[in-house]
Amino acid sequence: MSKCYQDEYEAGYTPRLVMEEASRCLLCLDAPCSSSCPAGTDPAKFIRSVRFKNFKGAAETVRINNVLGAICARVCPTERYCQQGCSRSGIDKPIDIGRIQRYITDFEEATKMDILEVEKPNGKKVAVIGSGPAGLTSAAYLAQKGYAVTIYEKDAKAGGYLRNGIPEYRLPNAVVDKEINRIVKLGVDINLNTRVGEDVKLADLKKENDAVIVAIGASKGKSFEMFEHNRKVKIAVDFLKQVKARKGNVKLPKNVLVIGGGDVAMDVVTTLKLLGVENVSDVVYEEFKEFRASKKELQSAQEQGVSIIDGYAPVSCRGGTVKFKHRVIPADLKIKADLIILAIGQVTDPAGIDLEFERGEVKSKSYRVGESNVFYAGDIAHGEKTVVYAVRTGKEAAISVDKYLGGK
Amino acid sequence: MVRKDLSITFMGVKFPNPFCLSSSPVGNCYDMCAKAYESGWGGVVFKTIGPKHYLIDEVSPRFDALTKEAEPFVGFKNMEQIAEHSLEENLADLRRLKKNYPSQVLIASIMGSNEEDWEVLAKLVTEAGADMIELNFSCPQMTSHAMGSDVGSNPELCRKYCAAVRRSTKLPFMAKMTPNITDMCDPAIASLEGGADGISAINTIKSIINVDLDKKVGLPIIDGKSAISGYSGKAVKPVALRFIQQMRNHPKLKDAEISGIGGIETWEDAAEFILLGCKNLQVTTGIMQYGYRIVEDMKRGLEHYMDEQGVDCLEDLVGLANKNLIPAEELNRDYIVYPEIDTNKCIGCGRCVISCYDGAHQAMEWNKETRRPNCNHDKCVGCLLCGLVCPVGAIKPGERVLKANRKPRNLAKLVLQDSIEKL
Ligand SMILES: Cc1cc2nc3c(=O)[nH]c(=O)nc-3n(C[C@H](O)[C@H](O)[C@H](O)COP(=O)(O)OP(=O)(O)OC[C@H]3O[C@@H](n4cnc5c(N)ncnc54)[C@H](O)[C@@H]3O)c2cc1C
Ligand SMILES: Cc1cc2nc3c(=O)[nH]c(=O)nc-3n(C[C@H](O)[C@H](O)[C@H](O)COP(=O)(O)O)c2cc1C
Ligand code: SF4
Ligand code: SF4
Repeated sequence: MSKCYQDEYEAGYTPRLVMEEASRCLLCLDAPCSSSCPAGTDPAKFIRSVRFKNFKGAAETVRINNVLGAICARVCPTERYCQQGCSRSGIDKPIDIGRIQRYITDFEEATKMDILEVEKPNGKKVAVIGSGPAGLTSAAYLAQKGYAVTIYEKDAKAGGYLRNGIPEYRLPNAVVDKEINRIVKLGVDINLNTRVGEDVKLADLKKENDAVIVAIGASKGKSFEMFEHNRKVKIAVDFLKQVKARKGNVKLPKNVLVIGGGDVAMDVVTTLKLLGVENVSDVVYEEFKEFRASKKELQSAQEQGVSIIDGYAPVSCRGGTVKFKHRVIPADLKIKADLIILAIGQVTDPAGIDLEFERGEVKSKSYRVGESNVFYAGDIAHGEKTVVYAVRTGKEAAISVDKYLGGK
Repeated sequence: MVRKDLSITFMGVKFPNPFCLSSSPVGNCYDMCAKAYESGWGGVVFKTIGPKHYLIDEVSPRFDALTKEAEPFVGFKNMEQIAEHSLEENLADLRRLKKNYPSQVLIASIMGSNEEDWEVLAKLVTEAGADMIELNFSCPQMTSHAMGSDVGSNPELCRKYCAAVRRSTKLPFMAKMTPNITDMCDPAIASLEGGADGISAINTIKSIINVDLDKKVGLPIIDGKSAISGYSGKAVKPVALRFIQQMRNHPKLKDAEISGIGGIETWEDAAEFILLGCKNLQVTTGIMQYGYRIVEDMKRGLEHYMDEQGVDCLEDLVGLANKNLIPAEELNRDYIVYPEIDTNKCIGCGRCVISCYDGAHQAMEWNKETRRPNCNHDKCVGCLLCGLVCPVGAIKPGERVLKANRKPRNLAKLVLQDSIEKL
């Protein structure tokens, strides 16, 4: 196992290992894995293809069902999705579906397969706002259907949290680049450094296009008032973005305090450790039994020697010192650190995009906003806030657009 | 996306793809064959239909599997005879299948005990709408010696029964050979001379695959006893390929139309049969273990293989390997290839050293300090056993040297395996 920020934490399979893992698959009758993949990637089918030596066919299954297959393979919390109901658990443990999928997509890349096809142009235009997984997926789907698709992205690079959030050791930017290239090759235009609401108006996009899909995600990190205007405090997603963009070349102090207990917090603490920070303490509001982070990430954080303290809420902050109170028992905690990183959640920044939100999600029952030609997908849609859900809602929103515009 | 046409003409009938159910329980009734067609099989060889007077009475249980380490099904043994359903039911199923699946190929398998049986059965299945017929000369566990593999190992009976069938049908038909014979060419030639249009091979191999150590009886146990019976599955593929090559190599059979059977599970297996001269492929054990769905990966994998090989027509691959299988005495024996060890891949398990010492020529030496092997060329004979046992594929064919006193030649031009590794 590698222990460096720039290297993938988990090694890929060799042909022999992927065959061994695929041979553990029981090829069972009703394949719970396939029915529980939010994006419909159909693991039962691609694992079977591996088992019967049809690697190229496996790659086709993954890619056609999930345009971000290589990314999902690396970042999906599979224990919650495809692997959860695995029949093999009746014997020992579930099939490592993510890793098989990674082998397949690496194989696809290595053999330069060109799987996706584009139907002939249908003369219709769609604008997509945001180039995170949701925006990319809907763009890819519509481009394949023959639409002229343009993505507007406020950042200098495409990918949303794939590029800025999920750390390099879990999702290398090289992988993100390749996935985006495949989508660009379908004819999708990406306008970078273009914030809708500022550089272009949503109203204009609505007029110039047959439909608009809003996929702006939740790109702003939350803070509490007690942490405002404090030079020692950083926001988790800003910190992760900076580290990833600089390929890990950042200067960090010796003692860092992280507040928060979700996956983002786990990424922050592991990143800090991989970058050589000596003391990393993570204070978490939830108690262990209610922990939100995925097991895999909690485990890798613990392997790195992070001190995780559960059940405490921050009550005050002055300079580098934060005081906490336990939520249940009468206990106080005071930690002094050189740097404080807040990983307490992300919110949408809808400035200039006049949609009605309710608890971070667009208020609407379908993927369409009222009777307008505006649709939405990803973290701002109902459902779980994961990449694979963004793929799902991206696909479903695109299907709604296609139907709305008269597609079959 | 890569798309290739897998259709191929075999014995004058066009198949949408070469993959067929072989005659066995996998094609026992209408519903099964219908599901197989829906799953994408190009054709079905219906379970062997026998004469009305031959009553089938099967044992229970009737199967056993040969295992190796964690692999549950290396080979498969069955004690089944021919169709259990009545002649009328079978004919009705054939009729319905042809009606509802007109574009997929329906093959009736028949077996008689005398000329009259063969004539009657051929006529009945022709009338029922079969596209072609397979004559089962090869079931090794029939309870009658007038039927089954005793017929297939007797060229004169093969000829006689083929002639009988020829008299009563215009349909193309093939004779299904038994591997329980030294030379399959004799019955195959006799069958073609008798009027058969093609050959299918192989049926199952007579076997005992396990013995219960407490009860001291072979498996499966039928009321304390067992019997020798047919072996199939992956383990029999090498035997099938060998018989097919021998037939294709025989001057009288070199253009024979052959349907290959025996251990086909993957597109790679299928491609091997095609390269050795088969235009049609049949499967049973793979389906019994995994279901009809295996055809999806066989078809798609074969399409990709065609793409990699740059062919648009499956026919172009048929028999390409036949000419490269030559008598052992004609092989080039002038050189040795030494193993080359990839030190980056080697994990230091020493399996190559053990196998070389105990099973080869004590050439692979072991450095105790570094825990790495080194090949001593003075002792190495280039058998490359080491490469087969290496668990990480670290050993491949390396340096080539001419044996003493051989005519010099350009050894760089030798065609060798790219890798010895077996997955
Ligand atoms: C650190 C971190 C780790 C995570 N790890 C995982 C994980 O391991 N597995 C997993 O499944 N999920 C993970 N997630 C969650 C996952 O990344 C998100 O659910 C997913 O990215 C949401 O996709 P999206 O397309 O809706 O939004 P985003 O990925 O947020 O993309 C939105 C894009 O829209 C752009 N944008 C916003 N406003 C505008 C505007 N006005 N004009 C133009 N462009 C705009 C943004 O710049 C951004 O590029 C993680 C999230 C974070 C922050
Ligand atoms: C259970 C079982 C029943 C079979 N019954 C028949 C049969 O009725 N007629 C026949 O021609 N072959 C029969 N066979 C032989 C198969 O058709 C086939 O030739 C053989 O199994 C080798 O192919 P495989 O390795 O794909 O199974 C039977 C095989 C099995 C395993
Ligand atoms: S496989 Fe089916 S028919 Fe055979 S014994 Fe089991 S349940 Fe009965
Ligand atoms: S068998 Fe392979 S891995 Fe093991 S010592 Fe030999 S070369 Fe190395």
